[in-house]
Amino acid sequence: MADPHAATAAMDPLEPVPLIIGQYTDATLTQSLFGHVWAKPTKGWLIMFALSLMGTGILGISVVITLGWGIGTWGNTIPMGWAWGIVNFVWWVGIGHAGTLISAILFLFQQKWRTAINRFAEAMTIFAVMCAGLFPALHTGRPWFDYFLFPYPSDTLLWPQFKSPLTWDVFAVSTYFTVSLLFWYLGLIPDFAALRDASTNKARRLVYGMLSLGWRGSGRHWNDYKSAYLLLAGLATPLVLSVHTIVSFDFAVSLLPGWHTTIFPPYFVAGAVFSGFAMVVTWLVPARQFCGLKHVITLRHLENMNKIIMLTGMLVAYGYMMEHFIAWYSGNVPEWDQFYDRATGNFRAIYWTMMFCNVVLPQVYWFKKARTSIPIMFVVSILVNVGMWSERFVIFVISLHHSFLPSMFKDYVPTLVDVGLLVGTIGMFSMLMLLFLKFFPAIAVSEVKELNHELAHAHVRPEANPRQSGA
Amino acid sequence: MSDSRFPLPVLGDEKSSASVEPEVVSAPQSEATTVPDHGYHKSYWRSLEQKLNPEKYKSLNAREFPPNYFDVPKGVDRREFIGLLGASMALAGLTACSEKPVEPILAYTKNPEHMVVGDPLHYATAWSLRGVGTGLLVTAREGRPVKVEGNPEHPVNKGSTGAYDQALTISLYDPKRGQHVRRTASATKPGDIVTASWRTLREQLVTQGAEWAKDGGEGLRFLMEPSSSPSGGDLREKVLKRFPKAKFYAHAQLNHDNAIQGAELAFGTALHPSYALEDADVVVALDADLLEPLPENLGATRGWGERRSELSKLNRVYAIESRLSITGASADQRLRLKPSEIEGFARALLAELGGSVAGLNGLSAQPGRTLSDTEQKWVKAIARDLAGKPSRSLVAVGETQPPVVHAIAYAINSALGNVGTTLQLHPVLTHEKYSSVGTWYPELKEDVDAGKVKALVITAWNPVYASPFDLDVAGLIKKVPLSIYLGSHDDETAKVATWYLPAQHTLETWGDTRAVDGTASIIQPLIRPLFDGQSEHDLLSAFLDAPEQTAYDRLRAFWSGKVGLGFDAKWETWLSTGLIDGQTVPAQRPALNARGLSQALATAPAQGSGVELAFVPDYRVFDGRFANVTWLQEMPDPITKLTWDNAAMMSPGMAKKLGVDRESVIAISVNGQTLEAPVLPVPGYADDFIALPVGYGRELFPSGLPLGGVLGNPVNGGTGFNAYALQTSAALGFVSGAQVKAAGKTYDLALTQDHWTMEGREVSFSQTLAEFKKEPAVEESRGPLPTLLAPVVYEGYQWAMGVDTNRCTGCSACVVACVAENNIPVVGKHQIHRFNREMHWMRIDRYFAGDENEPEVINQPMMCQHCEAAPCEYVCPVNATTTSDEGLNEMVYNRCIGTRYCSNNCPYKVRRFNYLHWNGEKPALEQMAMNPDVTVRARGVMEKCTYCVQRIERTRIKARTEGRPIKEGEIVTACQQACPTHAISFGTLSDQNSETLAWHKDERRYDVLHELNTRPRTAYLMRVTNPNPELA
Repeated sequence: MADPHAATAAMDPLEPVPLIIGQYTDATLTQSLFGHVWAKPTKGWLIMFALSLMGTGILGISVVITLGWGIGTWGNTIPMGWAWGIVNFVWWVGIGHAGTLISAILFLFQQKWRTAINRFAEAMTIFAVMCAGLFPALHTGRPWFDYFLFPYPSDTLLWPQFKSPLTWDVFAVSTYFTVSLLFWYLGLIPDFAALRDASTNKARRLVYGMLSLGWRGSGRHWNDYKSAYLLLAGLATPLVLSVHTIVSFDFAVSLLPGWHTTIFPPYFVAGAVFSGFAMVVTWLVPARQFCGLKHVITLRHLENMNKIIMLTGMLVAYGYMMEHFIAWYSGNVPEWDQFYDRATGNFRAIYWTMMFCNVVLPQVYWFKKARTSIPIMFVVSILVNVGMWSERFVIFVISLHHSFLPSMFKDYVPTLVDVGLLVGTIGMFSMLMLLFLKFFPAIAVSEVKELNHELAHAHVRPEANPRQSGA
Repeated sequence: MSDSRFPLPVLGDEKSSASVEPEVVSAPQSEATTVPDHGYHKSYWRSLEQKLNPEKYKSLNAREFPPNYFDVPKGVDRREFIGLLGASMALAGLTACSEKPVEPILAYTKNPEHMVVGDPLHYATAWSLRGVGTGLLVTAREGRPVKVEGNPEHPVNKGSTGAYDQALTISLYDPKRGQHVRRTASATKPGDIVTASWRTLREQLVTQGAEWAKDGGEGLRFLMEPSSSPSGGDLREKVLKRFPKAKFYAHAQLNHDNAIQGAELAFGTALHPSYALEDADVVVALDADLLEPLPENLGATRGWGERRSELSKLNRVYAIESRLSITGASADQRLRLKPSEIEGFARALLAELGGSVAGLNGLSAQPGRTLSDTEQKWVKAIARDLAGKPSRSLVAVGETQPPVVHAIAYAINSALGNVGTTLQLHPVLTHEKYSSVGTWYPELKEDVDAGKVKALVITAWNPVYASPFDLDVAGLIKKVPLSIYLGSHDDETAKVATWYLPAQHTLETWGDTRAVDGTASIIQPLIRPLFDGQSEHDLLSAFLDAPEQTAYDRLRAFWSGKVGLGFDAKWETWLSTGLIDGQTVPAQRPALNARGLSQALATAPAQGSGVELAFVPDYRVFDGRFANVTWLQEMPDPITKLTWDNAAMMSPGMAKKLGVDRESVIAISVNGQTLEAPVLPVPGYADDFIALPVGYGRELFPSGLPLGGVLGNPVNGGTGFNAYALQTSAALGFVSGAQVKAAGKTYDLALTQDHWTMEGREVSFSQTLAEFKKEPAVEESRGPLPTLLAPVVYEGYQWAMGVDTNRCTGCSACVVACVAENNIPVVGKHQIHRFNREMHWMRIDRYFAGDENEPEVINQPMMCQHCEAAPCEYVCPVNATTTSDEGLNEMVYNRCIGTRYCSNNCPYKVRRFNYLHWNGEKPALEQMAMNPDVTVRARGVMEKCTYCVQRIERTRIKARTEGRPIKEGEIVTACQQACPTHAISFGTLSDQNSETLAWHKDERRYDVLHELNTRPRTAYLMRVTNPNPELA
């Protein structure tokens, strides 16, 4: 790597490519990474925020309509008992996968490059799961009885039905959300303390002081913090795999052609990571630009992300291939009809969008030029999520539209409320992300500082790492 | 202080009186002699404590104040206070959750006889359509009729009903029924309407009647609904006696005139046919919809069903028709001809049979056109088949065919000896022989134009709307100084009449009617008239010079006059059985009038040219009179599955030729009129032919529902297109030479089933008899499949159903019966068209197979299959659907939160979801039709067929109180009860003698989607047809 900054940059001991561009002290890092928190909101931020607020308003209106009149305001029909609502749910849950994967799994694998983006990805996870959680809650016919889904001691002596994948879903998603939230917040504590310490007025000091839960940065604190962080990372790791596995069971456990497939769990998890990473890239690209984070979120980070997008994209493509192959190979008429209908029926445009965005498009990342080109990755990352939304639509809606009895082959058209809920959740997600970027430490500053130290250390004494000599 | 005068009660921490030991209670007797401490003579005691334990009592009373009196009261502590505060805040919030509406309950102060609140009462009654009666058994709940069944004692319908009968309750509770008497303020200003009362009209009629009587009622004209009511006939006679010069006419746009005229041609007398299909081995239906569940057909339909289950008894039905009727769909073989071509075919058949059947050889019939090769082949094959089955065959002709075709059929039947066996000929029982518009309009018009008519009484259903456009019925009525219209709705005719009287519904009326064979029944009311309605008899009796009588008294007086002694006992029997004995007319066996027939045959048949247009009855609104009956409007048409509208139906080939598709609007021009109507291509239709069902396009009745319009989605039903606007009096049935062109517009049609074919899947089975005998197609679609799970052993009753697709005609009476029984909401056109959210628990899947022009039709009634291994159950996260130990798949509405997962996982897609609060905006009147035994479902709840669990439970209670098991056939589900062909059986598989078990073991049995191993409790019997191999 003939990087002109290589000599001065903090280096990863394994990859002699800068993870932090430039040389910083703790103070200058604090200065540069918290700078946007203290700065006045920029015009761009305000416009974006206003737009996202509008989106959230649309969400509010759509939710009120849904609750006030019923699910009949959605485009759902018989046989399309699930449609946009569940498509959105699974899409958002999928997006919520990247955060914990980056934070937990990459942490356990000691991937240094995760430090600059993990906070950001975790926040995205939390917000995405919040958006996702809205849908199962709203999509029931009588949302005021949603608590029936939880095992609570009731005078009816009734429990949820533990055979139902929806019951598993409740546990999977709520556990995932809780652990992700704890993990995220735990990581935030030292940075909140740093913000508190750097606060310029009393109000800020008070708010950040409360948020930092009395963090003093003592050795004891750091010790406990590190072990808690490791434990939560260990706890979160299986959850990354379990959530989407269980979400996929909603479909795999049923007997519908197009749903009843054993390949779903791995294929869904791969798809989720695929879309989650894409969403991280979609947000990182503008965030590093506008929050002045280019020195810690480098092209190297983005390239790594794109590599994972390509890998998971190919896993997803393999899933598609196997699905189609088995549908043909099994000789099951409704199953094969289903796949034939997907490609040629009324919804074929959505099917081919899915195929293009999820199978063809990620192949551009074979080229380093594409992997490191900001415009290309921005467009690709957005299209990947369009593709993943289409994938869920293809799987859920088309399967229901074309099931066993030809007399019940029916069409589906969404309503404005359906669209409003999708646009609205995107609005709410953006609003939360913008607030997070503005008021929260968007980068795990303490970890970056630690990395900075580590890297500086490693740079000074390369012989300390025995593998370095072989590289 | 020892004897305190104000002893205080013993406080809490002392032993209370309730815990006094029993042995202590006996103590007082031994202590009775002790001197009381107060010094009174008698031992009065103030409390049990004092009595039983005087020592302790004393010590207690020794203190002026009770223990702890001076302690600071130990109230709530801080924690408890805050806890209570929080709790009361939370509870205060809860009170906001449900505001219970104030519901005054009025109890019976005197219980009506026989009535046990909560128990249904069944009354035998009847109703008539076009003067043909059907025996009914109506269920009333607390004085509200809620369900109509056929009267099982009735010899014609034998307990079965059609869809129209099933919808009687909702038409009773129709909020758009005419509710008030009104009249125009003056004849010259028809728009000026004032409310009036029946009393005023009656008084006016009595006053004017005396005047009219002077000239023998020369200016009186009556345009009546066809009626066979014996008491009504008596009334007419009385009216005619007072006004000998008055004239009675009858009007029905869909009528039996052609069949009756045909009988006059063939036999010289007016006769009305009915069919005994149970005895017919070969049936030839010439444009005849024999299986349409009209009152006159219910008997034939049942007979047909009897011939379709046992393969050894299988009959053969040929349908030669232009549109695809339910008879054609059920036929073994079908030939499509334009309506005008039927006559040529019939003539050729007559000529062909003339060679072999004695009695026909004298008749020479020229087809008038060259028959196609196919037709000739058919004629030969049918003739051979008919000739081989003398007295066990039948040729039937549809109502719209001209009289000569009927006459030809009568001649063939007569020569084959079918008259009296498969063809029953009855004297015409309606008071007026004919009722088509041509039989009365010219005469009446002449009189009106001559200014002779002073008063016109109309009780016929809406003649202004239901009449051909070339006759100005409205103008005619307007010219009459006094026109009185008695009708169910304030409709087109009411708008032009000077008086409008709301008609009583048949369930509100006393009366009588006769079935096609003469069987008479009493029509008894189930409920007091809901509105200011009168019956036809009330109106007619106002023309008599007699004191006013109640309908009840009038009816009793008539029948007691007929019966004489012992009337009261008979009356009771008639009311309870629903039948008046001794009124049946024996079927006639007239001799063929060969000369008359030859004359008729001498005229060459009219030739059709170009596109032919047929005005056909609609399976939902009939001639339009049921246009505002929501249950019928939402019932999918048996063939097209269209709801809420009518459409121009044509063959797919013709649609292609015109360059139009479903929902394209075409302009049909004929007789100088143009009508725009949407296209609905239907397989099996003759080419160059359009069938346009009548009864739609009522501008006064946008037959919609004001259901929760959300987000600019007004939920309105379609109004359809008025076919009468193209009809002329010269050609009521069909007309040729129509010009058709695309109008370049589209119109939404709400179909409940879009797909025609089975997409090559083995969903429903059909084979010919020969194929079935060789290798039944269903063998792999029944019986146990390998499973890892231990089989569940069911004990006790095991409810199960059998559906015979060979008997099912698709008529959909069961669908409406299910709606009526199970409080199924109506959702309206928009919800069906846009969202497929029809709520029907049972639907009839209709599949076409084979060529689009010669389709084979399979009807497959589809409702919850009550799977033993139900896919819906394990996916429900809240256990809201479970299998009972009797094998019912049960829905727990209270528990259902509406995830709709069950519906997604149901391979049969029979579950229905309350997407909106369908029942929320139901008018109070419609709420009266609700069956109190069945929960009215709220928004957000899944629902589906329950096998009529409320009927099972009611029967169970009855059996239990009688200490016996439930008997075979004791439980009848609503769909089963309505079915005119008995295509549905219900019972327990635990009873070795049950019919349902026999059906489950039948050689034709299969399970739908058997490969999924859901082990449904509903077994299907496949369709086995019996086509003529010669025509294969």
